[in-house]
Amino acid sequence: MSDSSDEEYLGTDWLPYSERSEWADVKPLPQDDGPNPVVAIAYSPKFREVFDYFRAIIASREKTWRALELTTDALRLNPANYTVWQYRRDILRELDANLKNELDYLTEVIGQNAKNYQVWHHRRVIVEMLNDASQELELTQNALDIDAKNYHAWQHRQWAIRTFNLYDDELPFVDRLICEDQRNNSAWNQRFFVLKHLGFTPEVIQRELVYTMNRIRIIKGNESAWNYLVGVLRQSEDGLLSSYPEVLEFSEELYNAGNRSPYLLAFLIDVYQEQALQDGANEQLARKVYTLCDDMATKHDVIRRKYWQYVAANLKSQLSSKSAK
Amino acid sequence: MSYHIDMEDAAANEPVLLSKHSKNLLRFLHLLPARMASHDNTRSTIVFFAVCGLDVLNALHLIPPQMRQDIINWIYGGLVVPRSNEKQCGGFMGCRAMVPQTDDAELQECVRAYQWGHLAMTYTSVAVLATLGDDLTRLDRKNIVAGVAAVQRPDGSFSACIDGSESDMRFVYCAATICHMLDYWGDVNKETMYQFIMRSLRYDYGFSQELEGEAHGGTTFCALAALELSGQLHRLDTCTVERLKRWLIFRQVDGFQGRPNKPVDTCYSFWIGASLRILNAFELTDYAKNREYIMTTQDKLVGGFAKWPQSTPDPFHTYLGLCGLAFTGEPGLSDVMPSLNISMAAYAHLKQLHESWRLKGDENTTGASPYSIATTPELLDAAMEQQMKMCDDSETSTSPLISAQ
Repeated sequence: MSDSSDEEYLGTDWLPYSERSEWADVKPLPQDDGPNPVVAIAYSPKFREVFDYFRAIIASREKTWRALELTTDALRLNPANYTVWQYRRDILRELDANLKNELDYLTEVIGQNAKNYQVWHHRRVIVEMLNDASQELELTQNALDIDAKNYHAWQHRQWAIRTFNLYDDELPFVDRLICEDQRNNSAWNQRFFVLKHLGFTPEVIQRELVYTMNRIRIIKGNESAWNYLVGVLRQSEDGLLSSYPEVLEFSEELYNAGNRSPYLLAFLIDVYQEQALQDGANEQLARKVYTLCDDMATKHDVIRRKYWQYVAANLKSQLSSKSAK
Repeated sequence: MSYHIDMEDAAANEPVLLSKHSKNLLRFLHLLPARMASHDNTRSTIVFFAVCGLDVLNALHLIPPQMRQDIINWIYGGLVVPRSNEKQCGGFMGCRAMVPQTDDAELQECVRAYQWGHLAMTYTSVAVLATLGDDLTRLDRKNIVAGVAAVQRPDGSFSACIDGSESDMRFVYCAATICHMLDYWGDVNKETMYQFIMRSLRYDYGFSQELEGEAHGGTTFCALAALELSGQLHRLDTCTVERLKRWLIFRQVDGFQGRPNKPVDTCYSFWIGASLRILNAFELTDYAKNREYIMTTQDKLVGGFAKWPQSTPDPFHTYLGLCGLAFTGEPGLSDVMPSLNISMAAYAHLKQLHESWRLKGDENTTGASPYSIATTPELLDAAMEQQMKMCDDSETSTSPLISAQ
């Protein structure tokens, strides 16, 4: 939970609304919190006054420029107040305001509140009203430069790309982020999102497997890359992990060279298990799975020991029910 | 090496400071400092963390009877009941920012147009009422569920309120909790809801907030809980369930992370833990390591849990940290019903209400799903017993009111 600080946003030259001549005609409306409120907030005088005036303009249905300014003050104090955002949109519509200015305002607000749901939603609605998403890639790129895993920024970016068909330059952007941090799971997810749209043809799958294996060669213990590798393999026609033998070869090479990354071993377990179940009761493959599960449980992934025992037991029971049939 | 072992032993023996956590949570029910004004719109979620946290701590008796009534009354004060000619905006508000103090009927009428129920606030409000033993008779269940159905989008997802809200998995979850708790689904479309959830299953077998976003621990909980609460969990095939387990199990580092390659955070001991409970696979995790991490985020001075060690505790992480510990059978804590995120005792109370509504042939229950989540009879009995005990305690409690900060 973050805290709000009025002073940070509203300078020291703050003039109370009650002392502003242009607001003299408005009678502020206090909040009715009931007779014995709980979780009552000791609002600062500034917060209390701004919202008292806000209630007053809502009650008089005032949708003017000064009302718009008032919502700006109210949202600085509490950017999570979704009703204020909604009323602001109602004012903008009523005034037929220039929404380009609103985008500029939002760029600034998002700079300060990059993890606030309401701000991003407002941005989405304004972009829809303008039917212009030309600034969205830059906006989200700026947010991702600060935090490359900001969920809100990625969500907004995907929405803009999907809605306004902005896929063209996304792959180089994603590639840059993966180069900067190969463990950026958000970037790998975005890569999948783009390629899914373009289509996982055999050529694309082949290319992506090579790309990912090259990444894994650099950092073997990177779960994001391994998950992506498996995800791409499952896009193949038969959806089998063994459908591109070079991936199994690559993995076994890593294993034989002594690598014991839990993600590598988990992948081998999955491939062997899949093959064991396909080939009927293939004892040799099953035994490989049991040995690997045991190694995981006792040496390489001890925190998940109960899980790996479960995986081995699960395969055992699947194979025995298969041979019983 | 021995130093490392000593450290582990120290964490393993660290006691959960039950009474400090109770006092910490109680404080949040009173006056909150001005710096928390940015939480104005979600005040009822703070009540939820505090009340449900006290429940999990078996400390509801620390809330004096009068205050318990004040909480119930304040929650009901946020109830929005639309007239027949108005938008279907029924439900609870989380605050009073849109409730003016005025006798002027015309002014009140104008502000009324901006008073809407909010799914997250409705969920937490009903959960608080159930936890405090309220019988929910002051609710028009049909009306509230009409409000839930009204915010369902064509793609099956839900917005938070009738106007001005994004729609995503969080509100799919809230919609399912509300309908389940009120034992009524009305015009909510479970099929499109299911379709939306499944379209948000990612290539690594976690669920995203919406569609092709990144798989995330919190949204994976929302998706699985919504499937369970709507009686649709069985629609997942075995293969999918096993892959979901894999993604979830891999989130454990010592505590749990929300996404691959992200830092561990106390709250994921609940989100991931509860997801695994829903899939009956929580016992495959390492309890000791999980507990060890949560304990490093305990504030020994003022109570409460934080997301990370040395961070400031808050009610959100305090409650979810306690729930995470409850899943591992921590002594002194009540068991938690994973998909509703309330105690088993509160859930037992809800089941009793459902039973009485059905016996009465309450017209509200027409069309209600006969589905109920499997809990062993022993567990429910024990939970009910505890609930009765809690009610008794509340009548005789002489605990002093913890003064506000």
